[in-house]
Parts: sequence; structure tokens; C-alpha cells
Amino acid sequence: MKDRISVLMDGELDDGSAARVIDALASEGEAREAWRTYHLISDALGKSRMLSAGFSDRVAAALAAEPTVLAPRRLGVPREPRRWLALAAGVAAVSLVAWLGFAPQLPLVAPVAQAPKSTVAPVVAKEANAAVVPMPSGANDYLLAHQAFSPRMSFQGMAPYALTVSGRAQEPRR
Amino acid sequence: MTARAFGAALAIATTVAHAQSPDPMTWLRKMHEATQRLSYSGTFVYQIHQNDGRTETSRITRYAAGDIEKLEVMNGVPREIVRTRDRVRCYLPDSRVVKVDRRVDRDFPGLLPEQIPALTRHYDISLGETQRIAGLECQSVVLQPKDNLRYGYRLYAEVRSGMLMRADTIDSAGHSVETLMFTQFTPGNVTRDMVRPSHEGKNWRIEDAGAAPASLAGWGLAAELPGFHKVIELKRRLGESRAAGQMVFSDGLAAVSVFIEPLEGRRDRASGLASMGAIHIYTREVANHMITVVGEAPAVSVQRIADAVEFRRPPQ
Repeated sequence: MKDRISVLMDGELDDGSAARVIDALASEGEAREAWRTYHLISDALGKSRMLSAGFSDRVAAALAAEPTVLAPRRLGVPREPRRWLALAAGVAAVSLVAWLGFAPQLPLVAPVAQAPKSTVAPVVAKEANAAVVPMPSGANDYLLAHQAFSPRMSFQGMAPYALTVSGRAQEPRR
Repeated sequence: MTARAFGAALAIATTVAHAQSPDPMTWLRKMHEATQRLSYSGTFVYQIHQNDGRTETSRITRYAAGDIEKLEVMNGVPREIVRTRDRVRCYLPDSRVVKVDRRVDRDFPGLLPEQIPALTRHYDISLGETQRIAGLECQSVVLQPKDNLRYGYRLYAEVRSGMLMRADTIDSAGHSVETLMFTQFTPGNVTRDMVRPSHEGKNWRIEDAGAAPASLAGWGLAAELPGFHKVIELKRRLGESRAAGQMVFSDGLAAVSVFIEPLEGRRDRASGLASMGAIHIYTREVANHMITVVGEAPAVSVQRIADAVEFRRPPQ
């Protein structure tokens, strides 16, 4: 079905098949989710117009050097997505790396600190023993960005947005 | 009393109890539905109990027909947040800035009614006491966590509408770390004008987060925290225009976000833990990036997720 949605977005389905896919979009949650996801990817790509000159050349070069399609896994993009979608997913992933200036150039050693690997339940977590620091500057930006995704909004509506670091607390101590 | 008579009496007692108070899962569904369905306006307080404590008073208005909500924070730095179907806008009149976030969270990963039963994997859910809040009779539902990687909750629903009137977040010692409670609540009587932003925002600086689902190639957790699964991965901007990646992990009720930003140009590089009510923020450096983990989960959970963040070169 996801393949057919992709082809529909390309405008390459015949009328009969298109009608069936559109019916599916109207009735199936999964199909709708795919449709929405693919448009988000396409929107995200639209944003890349704002990037610096030469960006598309760099993406093209990066794509050439990157045979693996880095499709967002959670979103359930098919293993071998078709045409623009395959390209789109690849570009979305590559452009993000470029956009963030990510991907350290050297192979990394194992992370210094790791969580205990034990998954035996019930977990007896040790008390946090980290250095206690003041709220980082820009804490409100993190809170705003985080709260949008908190499932507790489902019960509490917007109320959790009421909580931010107060202006006073943000000022450095004198 | 014969066994049979006792059985009959028990059956009657059970039936009566049921008629008065359906099971806790029904109450959770009622609360969820009321949050989505009702128009209302009200004043609520957000109290943090740790340290010296702090209380924020806010006014909230919801216009259900347009699915628009407005929240005005009454004390401290003036702030107003308007949430529509596809955008969240935060107006900061002091700095004449409006922060805009596109709602990629729409319907997901917010808790869906059919996911409510799955909460029993991590929480024991039972009915609690009844209490009068803002003049309305409320039934409480207690969510007791099965381990100390998440907080407990006591939620109070207005008995007729199911509207959540009070929510307490409870730590492992049984103390409330924060309380969110309506002090005044009026159902209905909301017009579209009441949820319009009070500020026109003309000549204000717009900070658009440009959030969009994306794959953060190479970034992940060496080990997931039990019960917390990745629900979304996206790119966004933070503050004025810092590029960042965000991964969100959730157990269905609590959520923890991992923000990933390049280190260059960062002034503050303090690693450590900061707390505010049920929210903990933990920062550390990984592979030339600043990792900031934010969540309404106990400090130990936020720290464990932060410590598990790693970068692996994507396979060639």
C-alpha cells in the first residue's frame, strides 16, 4: 500500500488504482499516516531551499557516496521505497546531517559513560549522583520543544506549558 | 449467614459500587475525552513543592469547535501560548519575540484512548479518594509506578464531565513533587475571539523552530531505559536559530527528550543535572556535541538516558 501511495503522489497511478488508494486513505489509519509522513518528508525537503549555495551539489555528492537509504525507521518507510520517495528519504537524512554539521569525521571510540545494561525487572535504580547545576540558559526553549511531545498533554491539555524557568532563576547569580 | 446469601450480598455490593464509580480505566478514558471535547475557561495554579517551592498562576481557554487553546501566564515574565491544530505560538511581549513550532506531535505520540490499557505495563492503576476542587466534586485515579524509573500520578476528574481538575506528580517516597490544579473552572461559553492572541506580533521577531521528522543518522542509545521507547526523531531549531536534533522516548505517559547540538559556538558547557518540579535537565558532551536531556521523569531516568546517548558512524 505504501508503495502505491508513493506512486499516487507521483501522479502515476491510473484512475481505477488511484480511486482505490484514495479510498484506503479515507478508511485506514496506517495509510493516512504514510500519506502524512510522505508529505512531511516532501515539506522538509522544500525547506532545503533556504540552505546555502552549493548545498544541492554537496547533497548529490553525499548521496553518491552513500548507497544506503537512511529512511526514518519509525515511520515505516518500505525497505525499497520507490522513486522520489527513496530519494526523498535519503536526502532528508543526509541533509539533516549536513544541516546540523553532524557526523564526526573520525571513527569514534566507545562512549565514555554508559547506562548499566541490565534489563532485569524490577529495576532498582541507583540515586542520581551527578553534579547539580543551575538550569541551563535557554532552558525554556528546551521545555517548549519537549512539552509538545509529552503524552501527559492528552490529559492535561496545555497546562504543562505553564511551567518555565522564571526570569529570576535564569539570571546568573551575582 | 449462609455462603449463598453472602455471595448474593457481595454481588449486590459490587453492583452498587460499580454504578457509583466505574473502573479506573473508564475514568482515564473520560479524562482523555473531556480534554479533547470540551470548551472551557479557567484559572489554574502550577505548584512546585521542592526547595522553596514556587507557584505559577495561569489562565487557560479552550475553544473546542476550532480546536484552539490559549494559555496566559499571570505572574512572572509575561507569556502567552496559543495552540492551534497545526502550530504552537509562544508570545513573549518583553522581548517582542514569537516562537513558532509546527505541531508534528499531532495525534502522535500523544496518548490515544486505545493505548490507555497499555499503561498497566508500567503503572498499577486504581481508584482513589473523592475531593471537591474549584467547587466541583472530583474522583481521583492513582497511577502507581511499578519501578522507580517513573513518577506516580494522582489525577482528579470532575465526576460529570471527566475534566481533569487536579494532577499531582508523586515521587518514590510518596511525596508530591508538583501539583497542577484548577482554582476556577467554567465549562462552555467560549467564543473564537477569546482564544485569539492578545498581541498582534507586528514587528516582532519570529523564531520558527521548523520542526520536521527526520533521521538523526548515527545517534541513538546504547541501551534503552526499561519501558521507554523512541516515539519520534526530528530536526528543529532552538532559541534564535541553533540547529538541533531531537529524539523523544516515552513510556506512554512520561516523556524524555534528547536534544543534540553541535558544540561550536556554545558558551556554557556545564555538564550536570538541573531540576524544577518533576522536570529534570541533564547535559553532557558526546562526540563534539552538546547533549541536553529533558523530561518529566526522576533524575535517575533522565541521567541514565543521557549517559546512554552515543554516536555510531552509520554503516557504509
